[in-house]
Formats: sequence, structure tokens, C-alpha cells
Amino acid sequence: MAAQKNNYRILTIVSLLLLLVFIGFAENHLDLYIVRILNVCAIYAILGMSMNLINGFTGLFSLGHAGFMAVGAYTTALLTIPPAIKAQIFYLAPLIKPLDQMNLPFPVALFVGGLLAAVVGGLIAAPTLRLKGDYLAIATLGFAEIIRVVFTNTQTITNGALGLKGIPALTNLWWSFGAAAFTLVVLLSLINSSYGRALKAIREDEIAAESMGIHLAKHKTLSFVIGAFFAGIGGGLLGNLLGTIDPKMFSFTFTFNILLIIVLGGMGSFSGSIISAFIVTIANEYLRFLDESIKVGMRSVVFSALLMFVVLFYRHGLMGANEFSWERLFGNKVYQKTLGRWTKRPRKGGYAG
Amino acid sequence: MSLLKLEDITMWFGGVAALKNFNLELTPGEIVGLIGPNGAGKTTVFNIITGVYKPSRGQVFFKDQEITGMRPDLITKAGIARTFQNIRLFKGLSVLENVLIANHLHLKANYLTAILKLPGYWKEERMMREKSLALLERVGLADQRDELASALPYGLQRRLEIARALATNPQLLLLDEPAAGMNPKEADDLTEFIKEIQQEFDLTIFLIEHHMDVVLNISQRIFVLDYGMTIAKGKPEEVQNNPRVIEAYLGVDENVED
Repeated sequence: MAAQKNNYRILTIVSLLLLLVFIGFAENHLDLYIVRILNVCAIYAILGMSMNLINGFTGLFSLGHAGFMAVGAYTTALLTIPPAIKAQIFYLAPLIKPLDQMNLPFPVALFVGGLLAAVVGGLIAAPTLRLKGDYLAIATLGFAEIIRVVFTNTQTITNGALGLKGIPALTNLWWSFGAAAFTLVVLLSLINSSYGRALKAIREDEIAAESMGIHLAKHKTLSFVIGAFFAGIGGGLLGNLLGTIDPKMFSFTFTFNILLIIVLGGMGSFSGSIISAFIVTIANEYLRFLDESIKVGMRSVVFSALLMFVVLFYRHGLMGANEFSWERLFGNKVYQKTLGRWTKRPRKGGYAG
Repeated sequence: MSLLKLEDITMWFGGVAALKNFNLELTPGEIVGLIGPNGAGKTTVFNIITGVYKPSRGQVFFKDQEITGMRPDLITKAGIARTFQNIRLFKGLSVLENVLIANHLHLKANYLTAILKLPGYWKEERMMREKSLALLERVGLADQRDELASALPYGLQRRLEIARALATNPQLLLLDEPAAGMNPKEADDLTEFIKEIQQEFDLTIFLIEHHMDVVLNISQRIFVLDYGMTIAKGKPEEVQNNPRVIEAYLGVDENVED
């Protein structure tokens, strides 16, 4: 057992090194189109994990994610666009001081974006905490729309409906995968702590959780604030990847895409969200022909149908509420069968752990 | 000194009085039963004590502090724990996690310390685990600690719910029909179990129960509710022979038919 554990540790280290080598290779040698898709994959993984914390782990059905992302994206963009370009973009009404002269390093800007999104998350959490299920979904959806409408109308800060252009392309694979890894580590650490157990208790039974001494408002707010923080970072990375953002981008459709990712990956599994973020993003590219050959919007039909299918017949998603581990992978029956066939030896559960 | 005192509690739900002028005083170390026909207002009493409901009138005191309508988690922190009539375990979590969660209210480390897994947090986490495992050992659930709570047989689920309540370190334990759905043998075991933990954990126990054998055997005093009114109170044998109780609770019709 101990030797096996050691093997798994080596396997983990090797995989991480391979990932680093791959990122280094991809960043320098791969097609720009592919690099961009990989970036989007990692960003969606961040967004998926952060939404999963609120919806999957705490059991709060929130649909406000696009709002948090918008806050992060706008903040990071405004803090990284060089002053000269800002003057060009804001031709209808000038950007207010001191934002017009501000220019911060990318990681600092991302962090500030995350913090502001977290503040907004806290603000949304406060009045909606008493709501449950559908009512919470409606209220958070409304809040996200309010953020979008506010951004459309604050001409001197967000440039209104014109959006922001010329955002420096600072997001690269190192940043996006690095941020995804950071998100995963922090969220896993949270969920495996006593606070994480308290969040899961709220998901399982709110009344019982409260009668076990868990302060519901405090813990729900914690979940919202941390979820919103990482959504803000994801939004910031996305803005600086795409180069342009406008309020329309952050409509409900965006939240829906992330909802699809967490439902498909498994509510209550971060690794499920990551796997599913890659699947959905890549599938989204492969299915582009549907939009081109049949009708624009065909892809959404496919994804909506997929969501319905998962909810009806495969409710646990890819991972259920489990996290990825080598033990699980190698203990898997399908894997064992394939292994047995390849090595042409009768399997005796040697790998079953 | 009284541990818990309910003064003149009245609770209205719309036009219906679920509880009328209810008075109760518990002294430390007692086991007191609360009985009455369905809909008599028994669970309402529990919900008022634990802060789920704020009474329309009247006051609740715990250790001479007023706790009327206080937030439920604060009341638990003050030292009142409960179980539920229809078991409310964290079904999708393991037996151990269920008990660990009940330790969360004593955690001093804040969430940042917990995320960063600083030594201070580790120490507390280790202590929580040791305490929870010892408790599971004590109630006989140590072997099932990694099983899902929902996978436990019914009787053990009841037991786990009591263990979880004990993990909050209560002085007063409220048990809402702990023997519901149990056969006489299981009910006997439970009676013994409740008596044991009462001694070991130095508890005051207030319980709602329909199993007459259990209540009469276990309680030092019994309150009888009917339609929100206290129709009798006193020692088990007194209550048992009270004509109003026999009429309201044990049923006149049944005796006539017999």
C-alpha cells in the first residue's frame, strides 16, 4: 500500500512536469488558434470551479456568475489598458480620474478585479440569503442583469455599450493555467477544511446545519464571496485574452454555459468541472460547423439538449461528488478490463488498491 | 436553579393557537418527558426552545439568560442540542463528517487560517477528529465511520443523530421522538442508551415520545399536552392515572370498545 501511494505520488509529479512542459511547448510552438482555445479551457475551468463552490458544494442555486465575471473583466481591463489607448477608446465621454492614468501590472490588476468581484458577491449575498432554490436563482439572475445594465450606462467608467477595446493581450497559458491551479488548490483546501464541511452541511440540510450551530448567513456569504473572487479572476483573464469586452458579453447565456459545465462535470466535484470545462470548450469549437452550415445558434441547441439529457438521465455528471485520484482511475472496472486484455493475464485485482 | 424556563408561552399560527400559556422549568440532571396526541403542539415547544420559532407571547430562559427567538445556531452554542422527529442527518456525507460538522461551532481558527492550513488550524482539526472518533466509538458507530449516513440502518441513523447532537457539547438535549418506528427490543436498547449518556455527559434531557414504555420508564416528570394546553404534569405514575390524560391521550373510545 505504502509503495503504491509512493508510486501515485511519483505519477502526480510526473504528470505535473509533463503539463509544464506541454504549456511551455504550446505557448511557443502551437498554432495561435489552439493556444487560444487552451486558454479559454483553463478560464472556463476557473469559472466552473468557482460556480461549483456556490452551487454544487453549498447548494445555493445562484445564477449571478456572469455579473461577477463582468466586474473582474472590467476592473482588470481598466487597470491594464495603457493611458494613451484609454484616451482613444473613451471618445464619447472621457474616463474618470484617476482611472484614466492608472496602469498596474497584470497580476495585481487581476487580484484587484477578483477583490471587487468578491465585494459585489458579498453585496449580492446579503439581501438574498433568506431565499432558497428558485427564488435565489431569480434574485441572483436579476442582480447579474443589474450589473450588466449599470455597466451599459456608466459611460465615464465602462465606456457604456461601446465596451472596452485594445485591452493588452496579457493572458497567456502560464497565467491561465497558473490561475486555474491556484483556484483548484485554494478551493480544495477550503472544501477539505471544517468550513468546507459546514458548507456541505448547509447543502445537505439547512435546518439541521443551523441546529448544529452553523451560522448560515456567515457561511453562505463566505461561499458567495470566495466564488465571486475567482469568477472575477476568470473574467479578468478572459478580457485580457479576447482584447475587447462589452456588457452584452456578460448576459445570462454566459452563466448558462458555466452551469452546463458544472452540471456535466458533477455538482460537488472540482475535477469534474475542470474536465468538463475542457470538453465543453473543445466541443464548442468542433461544433462550429453547425452554426456555419445550418443556422447560427445551432450549437446552443446541442448544448441545451445535452444539459437536458444530463439532468434527466445522468444526474451525477461525469464525476458525481468525487474528486479525481489515481486510486479511482486505476481501480476503475473499465480500466482493469482493458489492462487485463492488453497484458493477456487473468487480472487478480492487483491494481484495485 | 433552573436550567431552562419557559414562561407563559403562546404561539399562534394564523388563527390557530398551537400552544397556549405553556410553562416549563427544567432543573439540571433531570429527564423530562413531553407527551400528547398528534398535533398537540409538542414539536412547537422544541422549535420555540431552539429558536426556529419566535413565540407570539412569553419568554424562554436558559441558565437565567433570555433566549427567546434568538438565532438557532447561537442557542446551540449556548448549550442546547436537538434531534428531529423525521431524522435530519447530512445524508450525502459520511458518518464521521456528520459528527465533525457538529464540532464546527467550537472552531476558533478563521477561514483564511483554515484555507492556508496553518498549524493552529491543524491542531484544532486533529482535536476535532479525535473527539469525534471517540464519540463514535462510545455510541458504537466507529466501524461505520466512513459509510454514508444514508446507508445506515434506521436504528443507527437515530443513534448517529444523537451522537451528532452530543458533539456540540450540550447541557440540555432535546430528543424528538427518538424511539419512533422502533420495535420493543430496539426501544428498550434506546432507553438504556439515553440513560447512560445522560449520566456520562451530565445532561438534562427533555424528550417527546409516543412509546409509552419508553417515556414512563425513562422520565422523572412528564408533561401532557392536548390542543396546545398543558392538561397534566407530574410523576409518571400520577400522569398515567390522571383521568384527563386517559381521556385525551390514551383514548376513551378504545377502552369502551375493549
